[in-house]
Order: sequence, then structure tokens, then C-alpha cells
Amino acid sequence: MLTHEAQRQRERILELLEHEGGVTEESVRRVHKETGVPEADIWGTGMFYTLINKPGRRVRICDGLTCQMAGADQLSADLEAKGLPCERVSCLAQCDRAPATLDEDLELVTYHGKETGVTPDDPGLPMNLGGPVDESYSSFARAKELGAEAVIEILKESGLQGRGGAGFPAHFKWSSVLAQAEAERYVICNADEGEPGTFKDREILLRQPTKMLEGLAIAAQAIGAKDIYIYIRGEFTNERRSLEKAIEIAKEKIAPIKIHVALGHGAYICGEETALIEALEGKRGMPRLKPPYPTEKGFRNKPTLMHNVETACCIPAIVDRGGEWFKKLGKTEAGSKLYCISGHVNRPGVYELPLGASLDELVDAAGGYEGNPQAFSPGGASSGFLPMTYRDLPLDYKNLADAGSMLGSAGVVVLNDSVDMAEAVKWQLIFFERESCGQCAPCRIGTRYLRRQVDQYVQLGDTAPLTYAEDVAWEMEEGSICGLGMVAAKPLESAQKHFPDAFKVR
Amino acid sequence: MIKSNSFTVEINGQTYSADAGETVYEVAQRNGVEIPTLCHDPRLDPAGACRVCLVEVEGQRRLQPGCAWKVDADMKIQTESDRISRHRQVLYSMYMSDHRTDEEGGLPEETGNVNQLRELCATIDPIPLEKVEAPRAARPGDDNPYIEFDPELCILCARCTRYCDEVEAVNAITLAERGSETTIATAGQRSLIDTSCELCGGCIDTCPTGALIEKKAPKLMPLETKTTRTTCNFCGVGCQMDLHTHNNRLVKITSPAPGETLNDGNLCVKGRFAYDFVHHEDRLTEPLIRREDGQLHPATWDEAIKVASEGMNRVKAKYGSDALGFVSSSRCTIEENYLMQKLSRAAFGTNNIHQCAAT
Ligand SMILES: Cc1cc2nc3c(=O)[nH]c(=O)nc-3n(C[C@H](O)[C@H](O)[C@H](O)COP(=O)(O)O)c2cc1C
Ligand code: SF4
Ligand code: SF4
Ligand code: SF4
Ligand code: FES
Repeated sequence: MLTHEAQRQRERILELLEHEGGVTEESVRRVHKETGVPEADIWGTGMFYTLINKPGRRVRICDGLTCQMAGADQLSADLEAKGLPCERVSCLAQCDRAPATLDEDLELVTYHGKETGVTPDDPGLPMNLGGPVDESYSSFARAKELGAEAVIEILKESGLQGRGGAGFPAHFKWSSVLAQAEAERYVICNADEGEPGTFKDREILLRQPTKMLEGLAIAAQAIGAKDIYIYIRGEFTNERRSLEKAIEIAKEKIAPIKIHVALGHGAYICGEETALIEALEGKRGMPRLKPPYPTEKGFRNKPTLMHNVETACCIPAIVDRGGEWFKKLGKTEAGSKLYCISGHVNRPGVYELPLGASLDELVDAAGGYEGNPQAFSPGGASSGFLPMTYRDLPLDYKNLADAGSMLGSAGVVVLNDSVDMAEAVKWQLIFFERESCGQCAPCRIGTRYLRRQVDQYVQLGDTAPLTYAEDVAWEMEEGSICGLGMVAAKPLESAQKHFPDAFKVR
Repeated sequence: MIKSNSFTVEINGQTYSADAGETVYEVAQRNGVEIPTLCHDPRLDPAGACRVCLVEVEGQRRLQPGCAWKVDADMKIQTESDRISRHRQVLYSMYMSDHRTDEEGGLPEETGNVNQLRELCATIDPIPLEKVEAPRAARPGDDNPYIEFDPELCILCARCTRYCDEVEAVNAITLAERGSETTIATAGQRSLIDTSCELCGGCIDTCPTGALIEKKAPKLMPLETKTTRTTCNFCGVGCQMDLHTHNNRLVKITSPAPGETLNDGNLCVKGRFAYDFVHHEDRLTEPLIRREDGQLHPATWDEAIKVASEGMNRVKAKYGSDALGFVSSSRCTIEENYLMQKLSRAAFGTNNIHQCAAT
């Protein structure tokens, strides 16, 4: 066990490495001198994170599903030909602007994009991305008056499910933290948005960061936390500027509750709650075994309430207008929901619709299909693919789970018939292989195995390489430690099931 | 531990008593129920990373790691079932696709240390998975004299790094990179000699596959050597060690398993590696006395002691007792040190007595 001081020093190392421009023998030595953390630990931690493990300047081009469909390979070749070194990176949460690119300073560059959209101003919507910004913190004041128990009761009535992917009822986590004997508690906001196809938290951070901050403040007040940590992905440069502006105002409004911002350093897995906590503690982002859950032993081993950006953003309106009101906004499940839509549609973007809207309704909001749709991925790479026969299925937690898929982060991607499904599967598998933390064998070996086998199939058109894919996929789901490994075979499994023709001898 | 929190649990239908805080593996192990493990070492906090110990716990949808899962009153556990058999078969096969295997049997290769993965793989009918060729980096320039790392045999159980941290508190090695590139590294991939490493070799001992081996030990399989339990005589701690001999030559030293002897599976750099002197041609194997001809001549212990005591008494007679001084070796036990000061004070009458580890 590290001493308190050693722990605090350890928490600093990633930020220090970033200021140093990345991991080198010399930078590690200097960070070691400054913090006393063993050199090997600094090295091993730094080398986990792709934004700092290879110092040097280069352009980053997304190789996520949507960006690949939009010609990211070609863009990369063009830029390389112009003498710009490029690195292919995992989904940048800019799928509506595919193919997404960041310049050497992590600033967003749009090469050729379509028109994008968000739902226009509608005061009836809890998040209302297109609406005005309210900096009064009146919901926070109201929540304070009501007291913790009443607020949790409203939350329970609202039926709000965590928007980070698992859909776990929010109020359970609040009550659970509140029930802990330990008085030192934390609220963490998960702004590490990295699930391929997902870019809704980005829009909140850009357009309504105050609502999110107010939601977090209400949570901190209710569970008795003095500190809020916001873990925002390192590639979110504009988003961070917008957030910091909003924090300037929030600071006074919510004092003495403090807000801290921590940057991600390039690792999708740090969106998983316990990996995120490890990262905040200055460690490699390897998920912890659960139990204990963060609500019991989270950040610094203290009770921790973690919410996704969108979950937090729903809270002020719920406190203001009541649980019943929020619940009724949904179609098949409670509330409204931000759906991200990209791929082969005319106006990709983020649309706030009743939870349970169908694909057709969503694509309607997004200006219609582009070409002849053959498949869609309803909730990020982790949700696999569904055929168009599911176009009327309510996109909610239960219905999608029953269909063998998941709503996840509601990052919906539409694929028209110009796409080879086997190739689409390969792109998703590249993502999982790169982003596996490597801690547990089923995921570390399985993600690489499946990617290589599908690669071979795509190259040779021979089905033999896929003979044992099902066994490996089964073990990944059964044996992996965390959600990444559990679902990493989903793209292949679902595509084989729904698009058998794409996996025949060619 | 106070036994106020005792209860019973059921493993494979049998009832066993257990204490709060114990893991499924600990209860099973105590009662002779076998659960395979790879990343488990009783000296370390459970990592639950290798996944070979997964068991079924009633009420849990997912399989859970026996090495980390804490028992509860009346918990029902299954360590054998069709589901667990399939899990082991596929998981071990996956390990084999990520491991150097030998030509004939296709089983994980052995390097002279027991490869526990090989033993596990021999219990299943493996699925012939294609190799994944994971790009794990080695440390080719590492010129330390004792320890070699072979990434082709590493299963990333992190026992070595956790041992170096949790037991030795040295933190010389680390997991680095991620995903299939994950490997065992030092800061800057420097030679262990240029790190905080104390060359205790404990990482070799805890490695379950032989990915870490002793550079200078010949690659002899355990069956080919004879082991002799003895006490390390480099210092007074009294660590127990096993001498491995082959054709009457000492080829390797290991520690008895954790929990078996007082050193709990640990040795230091001297005990584990400093055995070259045993067969060294310059080693003294009998007393020698320098005679008038200026040459050293073999002698008996009685003769040698007599010559030494006469010499010392001559000095004492000529210059007084305090012209003598006694230094005892750090290799002596406390009892031996006691005798040494007795010799100094009672036999020769001087307080000039010192022990080399005292400064
Ligand atoms: C592999 C993986 C990646 C995840 N990525 C994110 C993410 O980027 N953002 C997020 O909010 N939650 C993510 N989650 C879910 C979090 O673990 C956690 O459940 C969530 O942040 C809790 O907030 P909520 O209750 O508001 O949903 C991820 C989970 C897994 C297993
Ligand atoms: S499932 Fe994958 S990402 Fe999750 S802990 Fe295991 S290796 Fe890491
Ligand atoms: S020899 Fe000892 S100190 Fe050196 S790396 Fe191995 S466990 Fe750590
Ligand atoms: S070297 Fe051995 S102990 Fe270390 S991680 Fe690899 S297999 Fe485990
Ligand atoms: S021994 Fe339990 S997971 Fe490795």
C-alpha cells in the first residue's frame, strides 16, 4: 500500500509526462526525480497511453467504421503523399465529420464533411442541445432545498438509466454511495467518450456544459462529495475549452464543491469506470475486478459516484420538472435520449428523441438514408450489426438486448449496400485489438486472433480461417474481465448471423 | 485471525467450513479440491488476470475467478461442469496460440523451469488455433548476468512485476504497452543492471511458465536433476534453499515454495546466484599452512588451529592483548558471533571484537 503522499505523487505522473512531450528515458527520469515514483512504473504507465507513448508530431486520422466508409484510407494516403506523417487512430468521436482528422496540436480538421445537425431548440427537451444556456444554477439551489433524500426519490421516479452504456438505474448508485460509512466521497464525470460511432457527450460539452456541471453539482451535494472530477478524453481540444469556460462560472455557484479536470491520454478502455479510476490514480488503465464496485471503493478507494456526461446533463431538468415528467418523455423506456447517427445518412448528427425511437424515426431526423441501407450498428462497435428488418425496433436498452445487441451509448451507424460486411467487421475488430488493455488472456489473445482470421478471410475469400471463431468468441464473452472483451466478438458474431452471405467462400 | 466469522460453503456439493475473507481458491485448496491457477501467488494480491481459475458461483451470471472471489456464508460453488470444461479447453487453446509450442506434442515449450501452462494444456484436447504472433518486445541488449526474459513464453500474468513491487518493493520491472503488444519491460528497456533491480531472482521463481529463466543455468528439466534442501550460509538469516545437482555438479539454486520455509519462497542475489565458487578451481577445500619454504602446504584442522593460536599468543606475549583484534563474518549466525566475542574476550583478553555487518 502506498502512503497518502506517494499516492498523490503517483496521480501526477501522466500530466507531467504530457508536459514533457511524452515518454522518453529522460522524461521518465525527470518525472521520477520530481515525484519519487519508481521509474519502471512511470515508464509502464506512460507506454499504455497512445497520446504520450510515441513523442513526435503527426496528423491523426480516424480508422473507425464511419470514417473508413467515408474514405479515411484514401485521405491518409493523400496526406502521406504530401509528406505529412499520419497515424491511424481509434474513433475520434467526430463520426458526423468523417473522415475525422486531428492536426499535430490535436485540433480538429475537417477535410470533406456533410452537413451535420442537432435537434433544434425545444424548451420541452431536458438537454435541448440547440437551446439557450441557463447559467442561473437554479436547479442546484432547488435540489439543495429539497435535500438528498427527496432528490434521490425524484431521480427514482424519473427512471433515469445511466447513459454511459450499461443503462443502470442512476438512483441506485446514489443511494449506495450515500449508505457508505466512509465520509470522503467523490463524484466523477465520465467524459472519455470513445465508443466508435458515439459523439453525443461532445455536443453536450460544446453546447450545454453548464447543464452537465449543474447535474454533477446536484449529485455531489446529495451524496456529500466535496470534489468533482471530470475525466475528459485528451483528443477533445475544443470541448475542453468550452468546458473550462463553463467551469469558470460554475466555480462560484457551487462553492465549496470543487471541480477538477483530468485529461485522458489516449485509451478507449479508460471509459470503463474502474479503468478510468486507475488512470486518475496515475496507473495503467486496466479495469479492476468487481466487486468491490466504485460506489463502495472507487477513486482513492473511497465511495465514488460516476456518471456519464449525458446522465449528468439530464439531472437539472429532472429536479426542476419532476420524475414523472421526465419518465413520460420516453416512448418505451424513461426519458429522452441523445442518439448519434452517422454513416450513410444525409445529415449525421446528434438528435434528442424519446427513448425507444426506431431507426427509421432517427434517420428521418437526420435527413433520410443515403443510398440503399443494408445494416446498422445501433450502439457503437460493441453492439455489433443488425439488418434492416430491425428498422422499426425501438432503440432502447431492453429491446436491443433482447435482439442480441445493445443500446450502449446510442452511437448509431448506418451502412448502405456499397459496404462489404466482412470488411466492416474487420474495421471493428481492429478497434478492439488496439484498445484491449491486455490484462486478461481471453480478450488480449481473442481480439488479435479474430482480427487476423477475418483479415485472412477478406484477403483470401476462404472460410477455413473462421472455423474456430465461434469458440474463441464464446470464451471471450465468458472469460474476459470487463465489458470490452465480453463484447469484442459481437461485430463478427452478429454479422455472421444476420449476413451469412458475406461470409461464404468467395 | 479471530474466528468469529466462520461459516460453511458448498463446493461441488460438499460442505466445507470457511472464514470470512478467504477466497474460493483458499478454501478449495485447504480441502484438496483442485482449481487450476497461473497468475496466483499466495504472497501477492490476487490479479484475477489469467482466468484459468474461473468457477461457477451460484447467483452469479458470469464465471468468477476463484483466486479472488471471497466466500460468503452458504455460498455454492462449482469447480467442474460442462461450461467450465469448455472454458478451459478454449482458453488453454488460446494460450497455446500465443505461446511457443514444441515440435512433437504441440504443447507449450519448457525451458528448464516447470511450465505450468504446459501441464494444464496436457489435460485438454486442444483446438488447433492458428498462432496469433503477438508482437511482444524482448530486451535483447540486457546484459545483466543472471536473468533472461523470453516473451514467446510469457503469458502476462504479471506475477513477476507484482512480486517485484509487492514483495521486494523494488519496482524494477513493469507491464508496458497494451493489448497484444503488452510485455514485461524496464524503464527505457535498459538492462536490469542499470535499474533499481537487486537481482534477487524472485521474478524467475514466481514465473509460472519459464519465460523468466536463469541465464547461466543449463536448460535441464526438473526430472534430470537431484535436489538437496540446505540452509544458505551467506548470512545468518537462515534461508532454506534447494540445490539442484546434475552429474554431481551444482547447476541451479531455487527457493522452496512460498509458505514452506521461513524465507517464504524468497532468496537474495547471493543465495540464489552466487554459487560459482562451489566448483571453482581456486576454491580452498582444506586448511593450508605456509611453511618455512614460503609455500602453502595442506594440513589438518588441528594443525592449522594450533599454528594460528600459537601465532596469536606470540603477538599477545610481545605486544599485549589489545594488539589483537577479531572480526567476525556477516555470514555467521548470532550464536557464532557470540562465540567469537567469547574467544576474543575470554581466551585472548581483548575487547577488540567486531562484526563486519555492524557498520
Ligand atoms: C469498455 C467500456 C468502455 C466504456 N466507455 C465509456 C465511455 O466512454 N463513457 C461513459 O460514460 N461510459 C463508458 N463505459 C461505461 C462506464 O463503465 C460506466 O458504466 C459509466 O460511466 C457509468 O455512468 P452512467 O451510470 O451515467 O452510465 C464503458 C464501459 C466499458 C465496459
Ligand atoms: S476484457 Fe480486455 S479490456 Fe477488459 S480487462 Fe480484459 S484485456 Fe482488459
Ligand atoms: S530480480 Fe528481484 S529486484 Fe530484479 S526484477 Fe526480479 S524481482 Fe525485481
Ligand atoms: S515473465 Fe513470467 S511471471 Fe512475468 S508476466 Fe510473463 S509469464 Fe508471468
Ligand atoms: S489464478 Fe485466478 S485468474 Fe489467474
